[in-house]
Amino acid sequence: MNIFEKIGKKLEPTFEKGKPLHCLYPLYDAIDTFLLTPKEVTSEGSHIRDAVDMKRIMITVMIALCPALFFGMWNLGYQHFLSQGMESGFWNCLLYGFLKWLPLVIVTYVSGLTVEIIFAHKRGHQVAEGFFVTGFIIPMIMPPDVPLWMVAIATAFAVLFAKEVFGGTGYNFLNPALVARAFVFFAYPSVISGDSVWISESADAISGATPLALAMNGSMEQMPSLLDLCIGTIPGCIGETSKIAILLGAIILIYTQVANWRIMLSVVVGGLVTGALLHTAGMSPVTGWEHLLMGGFLFGAVFMATDPVTATHTESGKYIYGLLIGILAIVIRVINKGYPEGMMLAILLMNIFAPLIDYCVIHIKIRKRKVNISRHKIKL
Amino acid sequence: MEFKIRKGLDIRLEGAATRTFKRPDTSTCFVRPSDFRWIKPRPLVQSGDTVEIGSPLFCSKEDERIIVASPVNGTVREIVRGERRAIECLIIDTTPADFFFRQYSVPQPKDSREIADLMLANGLWPFIRQRPFSTIPNPDSRPKALFISCFDSAPLAPETALLLKGREDEFYEGVRILQQLIGDENKIHLCMRKEADNGLFESVKSVHLHYFKGPHPAGNVGTQIHRIEPIDKGETVWFVQPQDVATIGRFFLNGVLSFEKNVAFTGPSLKNTGFYSMPYGADLSSIFQEEITDESVRKISGNILTGKKIEQFQTVRFYDSQVTVLEEGGRRELIGWLLPGFKKWSFSHTFVAWLFGKKTFAHDTTLHGGRRNFVMTDVYEKVFPFEILPTELLKACITKDIEMMEELGIYEVDDEDFALCEVVCPSKTECQKIIRDGLYLLKMELEGKKL
Repeated sequence: MNIFEKIGKKLEPTFEKGKPLHCLYPLYDAIDTFLLTPKEVTSEGSHIRDAVDMKRIMITVMIALCPALFFGMWNLGYQHFLSQGMESGFWNCLLYGFLKWLPLVIVTYVSGLTVEIIFAHKRGHQVAEGFFVTGFIIPMIMPPDVPLWMVAIATAFAVLFAKEVFGGTGYNFLNPALVARAFVFFAYPSVISGDSVWISESADAISGATPLALAMNGSMEQMPSLLDLCIGTIPGCIGETSKIAILLGAIILIYTQVANWRIMLSVVVGGLVTGALLHTAGMSPVTGWEHLLMGGFLFGAVFMATDPVTATHTESGKYIYGLLIGILAIVIRVINKGYPEGMMLAILLMNIFAPLIDYCVIHIKIRKRKVNISRHKIKL
Repeated sequence: MEFKIRKGLDIRLEGAATRTFKRPDTSTCFVRPSDFRWIKPRPLVQSGDTVEIGSPLFCSKEDERIIVASPVNGTVREIVRGERRAIECLIIDTTPADFFFRQYSVPQPKDSREIADLMLANGLWPFIRQRPFSTIPNPDSRPKALFISCFDSAPLAPETALLLKGREDEFYEGVRILQQLIGDENKIHLCMRKEADNGLFESVKSVHLHYFKGPHPAGNVGTQIHRIEPIDKGETVWFVQPQDVATIGRFFLNGVLSFEKNVAFTGPSLKNTGFYSMPYGADLSSIFQEEITDESVRKISGNILTGKKIEQFQTVRFYDSQVTVLEEGGRRELIGWLLPGFKKWSFSHTFVAWLFGKKTFAHDTTLHGGRRNFVMTDVYEKVFPFEILPTELLKACITKDIEMMEELGIYEVDDEDFALCEVVCPSKTECQKIIRDGLYLLKMELEGKKL
């Protein structure tokens, strides 16, 4: 028995039912199971269980997010010093980015977890791990200079109205991180308007437009090179800029089988084909490949569209779901000049349609089953 | 015919049964109605009554012809009742001298009806179970097919050929009798593992032989029915376990009624593994005392996937021929969700152990996490070899949507088919219980009863 176990044993009675601190039991339980694996053993059904649990799944996603996060922090500093016309070392850039990121992530977790714990207490269940990833993603998809109070309100709104009112993690039909972003996007358009929403430097002296905004305004000559787009030394949100870091995350997610590769593949295919079609039709100066490398497309495909709860639940439905996200994202980008970042809206829209896709897939399967059984009977 | 099962999972454990055959010293026998699914028992004996092998102990309240017979000669010591006076267990004191056999004149049944009557009267009928529901079938009904799964793919399960050692003729006679029982127009399917020594089963006459390849649940009768003759609404299929076929065969071949069977004692926490020959219900506490040194172990009647904890009455269940002894878990680990996990077993690839190709693990009964709602929606389908949507079926069962359950194909599954889903689920959902409750709801609905 280690020290934490001893402390836990001593503290547990103070949070029992009837004691004044009982209202904090979900918090105690969350910290307890955070420090030590739960002591529960199987009671009914299978006697052994897989070592994986939701905490492990969530931490795997967070590890997969880390390359993009670290690169994004460094890039934040790099872009800052670049726009100031200053030279700066690697650690300086990273530190600058870290200091920008830290308040964002603290505000996100405090605001979101408060709502989570209140609901866990009201409903009498444990604090679900789902928010750890949500809270990790939110600072990565927000403009770094967004006011903190806005982040707090957006996070609380997302957790409350996109998740908890429907019953918590597992019952939500919208991706909470995207809802938080959409909330800022639509509630405070004056602060972060459509075309500068992904820009990191709005508060600094020189504003650097994202490549996406540049392309959509038709200023293709100012576009960074494809290499810059891949590596990610471009202005943008923390998470989205480096495509290589995102791919690294995608490899981790696919390798560990935490995220579904079908969705990632079909989003990319959908985006690529639509981008190429619109390019050849002359509606957009941007080719299909460039679409993939710009904005939050890849980040959305890898980390947001693959959310297992809000995506379709059937395997074949995942292909349709992904394809439609890819197509819609590019269509929104090209056709709607006001909102160049179509990925968020495309994923949210498909989140809403996912149950419908599932419904159709299930009923096709049921019909197929009936045909199969009757065919079997004829054979016999 | 040959079938290949692709989706599934073999869980490797140490402690397979060695080929030693022993007989335990027991003087007590526990017969529990809960071994028979959804049977409401009406006792036919009182404490103090003398019983012999084959004499009825209790019958089903719904069909009094279905009786459960005493597996031993002796006297009823006590009828233990639990909540609402439901019978929990009948305890029978027995003398080792007259333990196992009772001789009859060899019965000569002429038709299906007579076979059924003889089996019912001697307590052999409960060996037959039906799908859907895995209950004892109505003696007046006949199935469209009968399945005998001649291999068990569950972890540490004993080889069927070993269980049947020396009982080949009884097995053949049992199959012949069962064919006569269900009628010549209905098929008997014998399912074997491909690439195993199947000589014993291949010489069975006039049955349909099938070969299965692949991981567990290839040996589950549910998987085999699904592949060979899927069940539609209103149809039934019967299944009998190979040892029980031999027990039925022994009665009709020599007139010997005996509920003796081989039970494999397996598991990493046993000093010596091996086979024990005993009637069902025999008290196992002497074996456990001898073979278990560690106190913190779990004794399971059956395998680790579908078995039941052995608690108050130390015996093996009616349909089980395996006992598994496993270490009880519950040790807490500091930030275990973050550590690389060199020794963690997982079907997912989220632990480092998978990266290094580690194959054998020390398993225990730890739940490894807290219960959550469904989150990972694609994990069940990787271990579920049915043309059925597992997540949707579970949801239909939870929401008690009977129409949806039927359409998705609940008649084809049983709780044991969802055991692997339950094992790999990161949300620690109790899939088997959900399916069992769904089936119960459906059965009540079909019979026009209220829950």
